[in-house]
Amino acid sequence: MAKKAKKVIKPGVCIPWAEKIKEYPKILGDPKILQKSWEEIDNLAYLYLWFIIMQS
Amino acid sequence: MSQETEKLYQERLTRYVAAMRKEKPDRVPIRPFAAEFAGKYAGYNNQEVTHDVDKAFDAILKCARDFPWDATVGNMVYVWTGLTEAVGLNYYAVPGIDKPVTDAFQYVEPPDEETAFMKADEYDEFIADPTGFIANVWMPRANHDAVALGEPNTARNNLSWLKGGMAMLSYFGKFGGQIGRLRNETGTVHAIAGCLKAPFDILADKFRGFRQLCADIHRQPKKVIAACEALRPHMYYNAVAGSDPTKQVPISIWLHRGCTPFLSPKQFETFFWPTCKGIIEDLHAEGRQVLWYAEGDWNPNLKYIAELPAKSIIYHVDRANPFEVYEKVGDKFAISGGIPNDILAYGTPDEVRARCKEVIDRIGKNGGYIMDAGAIMQDDSTVENVRAMTEFTLEYGVYR
Repeated sequence: MAKKAKKVIKPGVCIPWAEKIKEYPKILGDPKILQKSWEEIDNLAYLYLWFIIMQS
Repeated sequence: MSQETEKLYQERLTRYVAAMRKEKPDRVPIRPFAAEFAGKYAGYNNQEVTHDVDKAFDAILKCARDFPWDATVGNMVYVWTGLTEAVGLNYYAVPGIDKPVTDAFQYVEPPDEETAFMKADEYDEFIADPTGFIANVWMPRANHDAVALGEPNTARNNLSWLKGGMAMLSYFGKFGGQIGRLRNETGTVHAIAGCLKAPFDILADKFRGFRQLCADIHRQPKKVIAACEALRPHMYYNAVAGSDPTKQVPISIWLHRGCTPFLSPKQFETFFWPTCKGIIEDLHAEGRQVLWYAEGDWNPNLKYIAELPAKSIIYHVDRANPFEVYEKVGDKFAISGGIPNDILAYGTPDEVRARCKEVIDRIGKNGGYIMDAGAIMQDDSTVENVRAMTEFTLEYGVYR
């Protein structure tokens, strides 16, 4: 069986929202609200990791 | 902020930006990068300005009040060792810990395969997900508090991550305040915004170590090229993330290991240049300039750098011959620097003035030049020489 290619994670992202959303069995409210906060804070983690590499 | 201070700021910004765009402003702008020099001038030792960021900021503000520089950087002692020690990073020699308080901090690169933060057989893992590699593989090796995946967790590991993130936010917050204080209290422009590194430099500096990377370019050249390509979008993203939204002040790139004699021209052409050039072209296409801080002597590489779009960079000259830079790429790029730090440290004010005159006469006579030392000014630059560079330029650098 051909090896499944790993999905490339975009710059600015540690854990993609598309991956995170699978962890919720059901979302009763607006998923966009969850996505916005997730992505904003995930981006800070990304910036931290690269800040250490590039500037620290 | 007074109206006078804001007027001064706008005049300086106009002057600085015009020179970077290769135009002829009213005077040669002055843009020194004062590192440990600022601490010395303000009465702080190197431990104080490296470890206590508030003192580092105060030192720059004192310089900006006393020297009428058009632009400078809010803190040029660019590693805050308060943060690196809180995180547990293990690759710095820190004044006051590993070195006397009179020394500057120093990056200590892993010297061999055993200590390298990335091993020779880990290219594929790195290329597949550089960010994940940093979090899961790099950090536990570069940080004596972080724990590798699969190892028992520790409280110090948890706190290292927490403190690191909090410290970065604290630093960014304070830096934003410092930029505002420079503008509002002294009318000084913040000279740069955003940080770019060449993919090859990052691979050498922070992952493989230069010695190990030199072996890789012979033993597994395709992996090295693929790693640089994997780094490229991240370098671009991070450069833009911190850049000036108005696109007036440039993104800085501090250049390390591409110049002669670290790499041969062929190696430069193969490994260093393609991704570095591509990022700068992408930034230029969006209207962003890059301060090409050519540490060392990059003149043997000028034919490559000349390939970049006109005005995409401001070419900063450190130890190279600035007149050769002007001759070969001066028609395309503004130039800064060219005042050797040796003269600022060991010369006389007359020698400083003579060098400034020669550089202004031969490079800056038609605009497109920014007065600066060759490299960041550490505590060996003397106050009288920095004052001579500043005052001479204020007077002689006026375009009539």
